[in-house]
Amino acid sequence: MIAAALIHPHGPYIDWAALSPLVALVGGSVVVLMVGLLRSRFARTQVVPFLTLVSLGVTIGFVIWQWHRHVAAISGALAFDQLTGTITLLVAAGGIAATLLSWRGQAPRESAHGDFYSMMLGSITGMVVLVAAQNLVTLFVGLELLSIPLYVLCATEMHRAASLEAGLKYLIVGSVGSATLVYGLALIYGATGSTDFSGIAGSISQGHSSDVLLLTGIALLTVGLAFKASIAPFHQWTPDVYEGAPTPVTAFMAVATKAAAFGVLLRVFDVMLPAEHLNWRPALLVLAAISIVVGNVGALGQSSLKRLLGYSSVAQAGYILAGVAVATTLGARATILYLVVYLLMNIAAFGAIVARERMTPYGDDFDAVAGLGAEDPWLAWPLTIAMLALAGVPATAGFIGKFFLIDALVGAGYTWLAILIVVGSMISLGYYLRVINAVWMRSAPGPSASAAAGVPVIAGGSPEADALGQTHIELRFAAVVFGGATVFFGIVPQPLFDLAQHAANTLSGAL
Amino acid sequence: MNATHAAWLVLAAPLAGTLVIALSFKWLPRQTAGWIGTLAIAVSFGYSIVAFVQLQSLSPEHRELTSSLWTIARTTGVDASATILVDPLSVFMILVVSGVSMLIHLYSVSYLKGDRGYARFFAYLNYFVFSMLLLVLAGNFLLLIVGWAFVGAASYMLISFWYRRASATQAGIKAFVINVIGDAGLVLGTFFIFRSSHSLDFVATFRVAPHVFAYGSGGITAGCLLLLVGAFAKSAQIPLHTWLPDAMEGPTPVSALIHAATMVTAGVYLIARMHPLFQLAPAAQDVGAIVGCLTLLIAGTIALAAVDIKRVIAYSTMSQIGYMIMGVSAGAYAAGLFHLMTHAFFKALLFMAAGSVIGAMGGEQSLDRISGMRKALPFTFICFLVGGLALSGIPPFSGFFSKDDILAQIGSRGGWYWALYAAGYLGAGLTALYTFRMIFRAFLGEPNPQARELEHGHLFHPEQPTNPANGEVEDTDVGFPGPDHVIAERALPMRVAMSLLALLAIAGGIVGIPKTTSWLENFLAPTFAGSTIHLAPSNTLIYVGLALGTVIGLGGIGLAWVVWVARPGSSTVIAARLAPAYRLFAGKWYFDELIDALVVRPATWFGRFAQGSFERVFVNGTLIGGTTAIVRAGSAVVRSAESGFVRYYVAFVVIGLSGVGLYFLVQS
Repeated sequence: MIAAALIHPHGPYIDWAALSPLVALVGGSVVVLMVGLLRSRFARTQVVPFLTLVSLGVTIGFVIWQWHRHVAAISGALAFDQLTGTITLLVAAGGIAATLLSWRGQAPRESAHGDFYSMMLGSITGMVVLVAAQNLVTLFVGLELLSIPLYVLCATEMHRAASLEAGLKYLIVGSVGSATLVYGLALIYGATGSTDFSGIAGSISQGHSSDVLLLTGIALLTVGLAFKASIAPFHQWTPDVYEGAPTPVTAFMAVATKAAAFGVLLRVFDVMLPAEHLNWRPALLVLAAISIVVGNVGALGQSSLKRLLGYSSVAQAGYILAGVAVATTLGARATILYLVVYLLMNIAAFGAIVARERMTPYGDDFDAVAGLGAEDPWLAWPLTIAMLALAGVPATAGFIGKFFLIDALVGAGYTWLAILIVVGSMISLGYYLRVINAVWMRSAPGPSASAAAGVPVIAGGSPEADALGQTHIELRFAAVVFGGATVFFGIVPQPLFDLAQHAANTLSGAL
Repeated sequence: MNATHAAWLVLAAPLAGTLVIALSFKWLPRQTAGWIGTLAIAVSFGYSIVAFVQLQSLSPEHRELTSSLWTIARTTGVDASATILVDPLSVFMILVVSGVSMLIHLYSVSYLKGDRGYARFFAYLNYFVFSMLLLVLAGNFLLLIVGWAFVGAASYMLISFWYRRASATQAGIKAFVINVIGDAGLVLGTFFIFRSSHSLDFVATFRVAPHVFAYGSGGITAGCLLLLVGAFAKSAQIPLHTWLPDAMEGPTPVSALIHAATMVTAGVYLIARMHPLFQLAPAAQDVGAIVGCLTLLIAGTIALAAVDIKRVIAYSTMSQIGYMIMGVSAGAYAAGLFHLMTHAFFKALLFMAAGSVIGAMGGEQSLDRISGMRKALPFTFICFLVGGLALSGIPPFSGFFSKDDILAQIGSRGGWYWALYAAGYLGAGLTALYTFRMIFRAFLGEPNPQARELEHGHLFHPEQPTNPANGEVEDTDVGFPGPDHVIAERALPMRVAMSLLALLAIAGGIVGIPKTTSWLENFLAPTFAGSTIHLAPSNTLIYVGLALGTVIGLGGIGLAWVVWVARPGSSTVIAARLAPAYRLFAGKWYFDELIDALVVRPATWFGRFAQGSFERVFVNGTLIGGTTAIVRAGSAVVRSAESGFVRYYVAFVVIGLSGVGLYFLVQS
């Protein structure tokens, strides 16, 4: 030890290679913020989002470069393994999609481009830290780093009351969630005397399993994380915030936050608390069941597409939580697989919705997509595919994802929840098919109707800046690419199986 | 390029053709779609030849190649991947399918030129060829089922091609429904086999089959019988045959390609492909042979009484496929496939010639009105005659060798197979009789007005287009046949296609002259090397069979001459004398009525009953009404909780937290 210190007198060894994705994100965030201060309009509106994309691309490159390493960095505070890698890939992909969706949007313009994209990159950094966290403190730091930029991002359309309201609501309710979580972390530390995941796991296995302090801590931790993953009954901010936030931010929250939240749920329950699974499994299963029911029935009869997708995300969170709750390797694999699929289909849907918000005066109302099939098949098909995939129709990736979740549940002996997933999917057709119906079987509302609808006061579009009727190539690109991927992986799912297997292998030692 | 690469390209060409035509038809100039489609199939045929040459360059025991493009799912218990199997059998099939399809595409380029759905037709037709090639190249049950279902779908779309004709759409639905019964049989049969073999792959299944299935055991017999249901539905064997005559509602090239030369032979291919399984289930083989034999007789008698020229050929197709099914079920694989090939040539030719006749008649198809076309349509007449002679098994035309080959092999099995042998020759007599009844009635005798008009150089056009099935007046817009009628004498592509097919129909038998060439048998030998049925007909049987076939064929033609040419009017006398038999034949043995009474009516009645009682009260009232009420109420509750006030949201978090916390405290 001493000899080693003498040979390397320059302080602790830092594995920069392992940290490289985080470095890329933090560095990108700083550079983007600085470039955003330039006077040149071109630099602000074009270079900034481009640099964001570069930063995310480099992050993805670093993850792939470090794919086969399994490193505990910064004195074991962060684990860069394949689970972290997979979730990083997902959130970076979500970030790329959100950047494309907001490129010519209203939100970055109102809040200054540099700030907007810098905060997005900051939030992504938080997500990576959260998933990589190996102790309670890092977990909390990651969670706050994720959340705080998101609160601000929700309120970036400052001239629109709904956006401000969404940001404020998210901040207040989110603070309650964070407080709950940090309280839970404190109790767990108090019960086990350790902040380290492996230390806590070791302490529990030595006989603290039914300690009141510990169990209360787990309860609070569960609620805190369930809040972030918008699991019912802690979901209530979701529809309001999804509807009010700028649509690219909604898309980002839907896919990236969800991926990070479930990544950390897997980590916490399957690495830190596997010895407690008899205690927490029933609670998670019930929460999953409540989410499936609440999300699916709540989405019926919504007239706002974003609100509909908000409820749908609650239901989908229930499906994914079921994969976490069974606490088997197969369940973990199914969870990760579903997160990938969820990203693909949601981006396809949001891409089409953002495009329609900018092209029509109806915002995110159903009217915005009425008659889309005849008018613009390149947007109609991705939206249709996304809806079918969310409902789990075969030949889409959504079917593969649901199939594996159900397989994992039945394999672990929770057939009742599998049946609930199927029933939930049946109910979900009631609202997903309404969208498809509007796209293909309704005709576009006439010009008189649009005159009556007047100026849009709904998310994403604003007449003073955005001329209606514009079609933006990057939106179309995102929708088509992600919609195409949804179908492709429905037919050739093997790459997803491999990815999920790699990521879940990280956990298999603990399970 | 090795054989599997070529086989993938065989599949890719028609798929590319259908996509190109379907996606770009708006910008394609007139007739381009037809040429693109024909070119795609020609490329496919070219690569089939490459695959053939490459396969022949391998030593016989290595002529079984598989190639996987990607894995669909490989998890515990399932091994599904996109695999093709290239062996002599599949190469033989792709050669026949792509070769005949190419000529029929060429024919269609002219024949359909007036139709408003021209590009749609070629997109469908290319899609059909892709599906059929997928079916015969499939290397596992999964792709086989996919190809099988695609072929059924393509057939439906093409039968109902003139979608504004009610009779055409009904025929399409009928064909689709019966084909789906066959699909169900195929899928269930696959399941029975997969349950024991644990593999979807053909090669693996055939390898393990003798070890996991006892000879003649229930499992394999059930599996093979269910496969036979699939084969019977696709190949129009009794009692699942009623869709084929109705399928003649489609355009004539469709009848030539799908309902004569290729798709309907899928059942024959299936039995030949599955021969290692069928040989473990002798009962299923016997069922196949007997059903094939019954079909060939019954269809032959119906063809004697049918008056629609296309339906006569359709019943003839059924009858000829009966020979093939009988042959491959009895173990005469090479012979059955030989007949499949020659039949594809002469039957496609007959349909093309019939299409030309129908063109000259301005859409009219009834033999009662067609007569004396010989002078007006000299080229068509020669082609029709060549096809008819080949069909009737007159030496040296191709059908002569292939049909007698099947019958000699069956005869060599002895025992009760002699009954099949005798029935086969009886059927041959019927074949000659109905074929020349059709030829004599259509081409000889007094020229009708349309023929006279054509002899003076003017192609007849009816005043207003009508549906030949029921005489309803139609227009010539999209969804109906176009305004133009086409005859082979005036369209070069049609003449080229028909001439080539006529040559093949004349000389196609050369690949299987008994004791002389036997090329086809030798080529297919590696596929059937493991066959446990060894048929070696004696020389006597072969030569007697050839002589008998000639005599019976010529006798049938002679009889037709006497009845319909030498003594006109005697046919009505005979029909009156044998009134019950005639009614039976003309009523198509009442199979439609039988199915109607046994299946359709009881099902309809039960459906009405169930709808009135069970459905309305229990399902709609209680189940659906109750469920939707619950879901609606739940939706209202969830939405009313979504008040928009942060204080309530926080309250909910606290309530939920209390619930979760309480649970964990109870656990401690």
